[in-house]
Amino acid sequence: MTLTSLAFYLFATVAVASSFMVISSRNPVYSVLFLILTFFNAAGLFVLLGAEFLALILVVVYVGAVAVLFLFVVMMLDIDFAELSEGFLQYMPIGATVGLILLLELLLVFGASSTLIDTKPLPQATPDGMTNAEALGRVLYTDYIYFFQAAGAILLVAMIGAIVLTLVPSNNPKKQNIAAQTARTRDDAVETVDVEPGQGI
Amino acid sequence: MLQNLTLILPEMILFLGAMGLLMIGAFSKGDSTRTVNLGAIAILALAAATAGSFANNAQATAFNGAFVMDSFAALMKVLTFVATGIAIIMSQGYMRLEKLARFEYPVLLLLAAAGMGMMISANDLIALYMGIELQSLALYVVAAINRDSLRSTEAGLKYFVLGALSSGMLLYGASLIYGFSGSTNFVEIAAAFQPQDGILPMAQVLGLVFLLAGLAFKISAVPFHMWTPDVYEGAPTSVTAFFASAPKLAGMAIFLRIMMTGFENALVAWQQIIILLAILSMVLGAFAAIGQQNIKRLMAYSSIGHMGFALVGFAAASAAGVSSVILYMTLYVVMTLGTFACILSMRQDSGPVERISDLAGLSQTRPFMAFCLAVMMFSLAGIPPMAGFFGKLFVFRAAIDAGLYSLSIIGVLASVVGAFYYLRIVKVMYLDAPADEVNEPMPRELSILAGVMTAFTLLFFVYPSPLVELADKAGAVLMQDGMVATDMLQEHLAGH
Amino acid sequence: MGTYHAIVFFPLIGAAIAGLFGRLIGDRQAEYVTTGLLILSALLSCISLINIGMDGGTQKIMVLNWISSGGLDIDWVLRIDALTAVMLVVITCVSSLVHVYSIGYMSHDPHRARFFAYLSLFTFMMLMLVTADNFLQLFFGWEGVGLASYLLIGFWFKKASANAAAIKAFVVNRVGDFGLILGMAAIYFSVGSLQFDTVFDSAEALAQGEFDFLGMTVPMLTTICLLLFMGAMGKSAQFLLHTWLPDAMEGPTPVSALIHAATMVTAGVFLVARCSPLFELSQTALNVVIVVGGITAFFAATVGLVQNDIKRVIAYSTCSQLGYMFVALGIGAYQAAMFHLFTHAFFKALLFLGAGSVIHAMGDEQDMRKMGGLRQLIPATFFMMLIGTIALTGFPLTAGYYSKDAIIEGAFAAQAAPHMFGFAMLVIAAFFTSFYSWRLMFMTFFGVSRSSNETLSHVHESPPVMLVPLVVLSFGALFAGAAFAGLFVGSEQTAFWAGSIFTAADNQILIELKQVPGWVVLSPLVMMISGFALAWVMYIYRPSWPSEIAAQHDLIYRFLLNKWYFDELYDFIFVRPAKWLARFFWKGGDGFVIDGFGPDGVAANVLRVTRRMVGLQSGYVYHYAFVMLLGVAGIVSWLMLTGGLS
Repeated sequence: MTLTSLAFYLFATVAVASSFMVISSRNPVYSVLFLILTFFNAAGLFVLLGAEFLALILVVVYVGAVAVLFLFVVMMLDIDFAELSEGFLQYMPIGATVGLILLLELLLVFGASSTLIDTKPLPQATPDGMTNAEALGRVLYTDYIYFFQAAGAILLVAMIGAIVLTLVPSNNPKKQNIAAQTARTRDDAVETVDVEPGQGI
Repeated sequence: MLQNLTLILPEMILFLGAMGLLMIGAFSKGDSTRTVNLGAIAILALAAATAGSFANNAQATAFNGAFVMDSFAALMKVLTFVATGIAIIMSQGYMRLEKLARFEYPVLLLLAAAGMGMMISANDLIALYMGIELQSLALYVVAAINRDSLRSTEAGLKYFVLGALSSGMLLYGASLIYGFSGSTNFVEIAAAFQPQDGILPMAQVLGLVFLLAGLAFKISAVPFHMWTPDVYEGAPTSVTAFFASAPKLAGMAIFLRIMMTGFENALVAWQQIIILLAILSMVLGAFAAIGQQNIKRLMAYSSIGHMGFALVGFAAASAAGVSSVILYMTLYVVMTLGTFACILSMRQDSGPVERISDLAGLSQTRPFMAFCLAVMMFSLAGIPPMAGFFGKLFVFRAAIDAGLYSLSIIGVLASVVGAFYYLRIVKVMYLDAPADEVNEPMPRELSILAGVMTAFTLLFFVYPSPLVELADKAGAVLMQDGMVATDMLQEHLAGH
Repeated sequence: MGTYHAIVFFPLIGAAIAGLFGRLIGDRQAEYVTTGLLILSALLSCISLINIGMDGGTQKIMVLNWISSGGLDIDWVLRIDALTAVMLVVITCVSSLVHVYSIGYMSHDPHRARFFAYLSLFTFMMLMLVTADNFLQLFFGWEGVGLASYLLIGFWFKKASANAAAIKAFVVNRVGDFGLILGMAAIYFSVGSLQFDTVFDSAEALAQGEFDFLGMTVPMLTTICLLLFMGAMGKSAQFLLHTWLPDAMEGPTPVSALIHAATMVTAGVFLVARCSPLFELSQTALNVVIVVGGITAFFAATVGLVQNDIKRVIAYSTCSQLGYMFVALGIGAYQAAMFHLFTHAFFKALLFLGAGSVIHAMGDEQDMRKMGGLRQLIPATFFMMLIGTIALTGFPLTAGYYSKDAIIEGAFAAQAAPHMFGFAMLVIAAFFTSFYSWRLMFMTFFGVSRSSNETLSHVHESPPVMLVPLVVLSFGALFAGAAFAGLFVGSEQTAFWAGSIFTAADNQILIELKQVPGWVVLSPLVMMISGFALAWVMYIYRPSWPSEIAAQHDLIYRFLLNKWYFDELYDFIFVRPAKWLARFFWKGGDGFVIDGFGPDGVAANVLRVTRRMVGLQSGYVYHYAFVMLLGVAGIVSWLMLTGGLS
């Protein structure tokens, strides 16, 4: 067993185990932390495949941004997750049974199909003499322009959606009016008032 | 490159149009909803016209085979865009009255339409996924667009969570297929998906199953339908009208394309699954609808059932079958939009009503609306000579010609059970004492639309051949086969 | 030509006017229209009988092409020959008299237009029956009179017993009709036509033919004849299928006179006479006819001895007299049967209408035990009834004397065993006939009145509109025998019938009956006198005897009073098992199986399935997700298990 294989099995096992913990741990903060662990292991797998750019992007974007955002959200929302997961335990046995059956079937199928994989030439992650980022860059705006733009459109929809669903148009928006600010003079802001003795304003 | 851009012109129009309208909406002073609505309708019409101009062209691909344009795609796109446009027209009054009128709604629908166009033309697993996500994400948002309503937000959230699950399944299946065939392109997948010693590679079939589950979710075929009733009921009615029409067309179109082109060699595997989905959908659609009191929920089960009937034609896996599905979907969309035009008109001065019992005695208070709805119900039930009957006739003929006798028998029985709840609505409208729940007049644009749909449904049998020929041509592209449905129609007409 | 159309269709027109426009034109007008049309029809019938009697032959009058389907080509043709002409006269005359009589009898009824419409409809149907030129046409009339009979028996539909009687009459007749239908089917099967002439022409061939039925070989002609006779038994209330006739007395009395005495019940006799070319060739069938006829004559007479309802006595008498007619048919003396039918129509209608007059006078009282001494109160009715009675009992020179004696003598003449049985039955029945007829007269008109003074104070003679028909009929009862004996059974019979009745070459019964020994000729007379004497002793001289005898022979008395327990027997053998079976099919078949698993059950289960399916829709996302996973797992498992991938 080579070191690569060892690393693969390590990352794979931890990834699967930690993703299981994501759904099974009672404390949602732990869940998010396990999710981060899963991302790290997935990043490790990318590295093993020679896609170090993707591995780093995964860590930066998912761990650094998304998962941390999740963590904030979970902590800020005061939700009793234990209550929500009660039903989960109640349906655990039957769900587990079905899941197990499916798992067995998948194993059975993949066990039988392993020979088939060997007959195919494995695709190469990176062309020779090219870095990861360069290789991606070469295809991203050429061969994959359609998909790339489509992904952009999806993100646009997500953005519009987030605004549509959350933005509350206020009646009194505190908007900055630069022209008004610069046009403001002392006379506009200050007023001298003579106050008669013995009387209020 | 120019050819690439030419082929995706309809989607480009939609996408750029959506962005332009977004700008207009964001920067215009005052309420721009009306302008954006009209703009969206115009853009959809333009996109539909552009798509229609490809109808007679030979098959052409773009972006290294990821995107395909042929007469099937052209027809389905025209239908989808027109359906979306009608959904926007129908939504205007409702959204205004419900204080939901926002310029983002037509923009999101335009983007969804672009996604649907991408789905219909997808010839690659990634393109398929991109199209589906673009469409779905927009749908999740519009489902929850009434964000002050608990039911609407719940609907949006449910749809989103389950949609994510289905996307997960689809992706899992896609990755398996890619892993075992080495390509994401449908044509190459088909080439790699060869039976070995008469046995299909099980791992690829497994991928197919997961992919199929993801697609079945989009057309809400049983058992991947669970979201449908809740979302249909929870979402604002105008959104439900849209959900029931265009996305179903697009979903069915890509479903047909991927099975007929990418997995043509795996027919024995998916045919069984489609038969199973068809039976379950028809039966559940027929039975579960009976217990409904809410007309939107009822329409949800109705659309589940109709997807089952369309899948009957699908299961035939023949040119006749494909064109029967196209025809069925077209008629289904017309009937559904017509029905929703009526449902959208169910209003009191205090707001919309949705219970079936609110329709009591409608024939006396709103005779025109009752007539339109009755025609739609008869047609949905498949009673001749309404258009719905011909849809069923063609799918069952296709199934019988393919030797699927028991499927056809179950289908006919299910449609008998289904007729019960459609006719119950007619009974409530025509025979029950007026409840006077619906007391607002029918808005003008809705009555025009309902009238047009009703006329189409009623008079389809007079001159059905243009649509049948179109469906045949589109079906022939997928199957490279003769124009079977046209022959069937000739035969049928000659029989009378 | 037009004459026969008029005879047949006048009643139909009358029925249509009275039935459809009765409310519009009023009861009185409806009565006049129907009665007037029938009198016209009757006059035309009499003319046609004279014509037929003079020139003979068979006329066929096309009405229209009725059914033309494949090999079956049936025209609607009026067949007029002597047999039909006799029936036409009987039907239209009695019917018109009954119409007239009903104007008086029904004067207090609120639904007179309907009643007259039914009466005319019946008359039309009866005319259809007798003018038939093929079996299908005959069957149309046959069922039509059955329908009219049903409607008229149940005319007072608010009376439960009337409805029950109507249904009983209909159902029992269906048993007979079943035989008739089978007979027709057998004829069509073997001959390929239902046209009388065609069928009769192939009678010889049929006599040679055989059916293969359930592995048995049965003679063709005999089977057909027996099946047809079964139909005749039902219509003519012969033994075993007689039970409906006494109950049919629930209908208005004029109906009893017309349908259940003079016309419809004789349809069976007519059928056999019409089919004489067939029956004549099957001795077996004829023997069966004799035996059934003889038993009916005897049986009905015995039951008539002890009945107390005035109409029931006459009803059993009718039944018994029909037995006479069938014996006559059985011995081959079709002419004698028709003769008795002809005379019987007069005196039995007379008796019924007379009884109706009595009932009318007594304020709807039918029980003879509550009558008595009415002779002085309603003398005219008494006189008419007397004429009817002597005619029925066969007093010399009255109508019954000629026809009945001819039958009794004919039965003796052939000397064969079935014939002698018939002869014995008829002679005994003649004694009983005399007894019960006089018993009726004595109980009703003689002795001391047994009714309340209140009733007696209202007793009145019937109005002229009721008495005139009685007078007309009494003329018939007195003189029809003497006038027509020569034509029907005497020397001129061959010329009169002119081939409308077929007799085999060796059938010389009408000649032989003139050559029987003297004691045979005298026996009916003796029986009649002794019956009269016994009745006189028991009801005038020693009125206490009947009850004493009844007490002493309680068993026999009750056996007779309960009509040989036929109703109870049928109730036990047929009605109860049928009801049990019906109940079984209702509760078990329909209720449990059809409703349980059929439409209702399916509908109920649809709702159950619906509830379960709707119940799946819990609203929980994880349920939904689970269902999706279950779907995927299920599909994968199914594909793996079935291995449907090759």
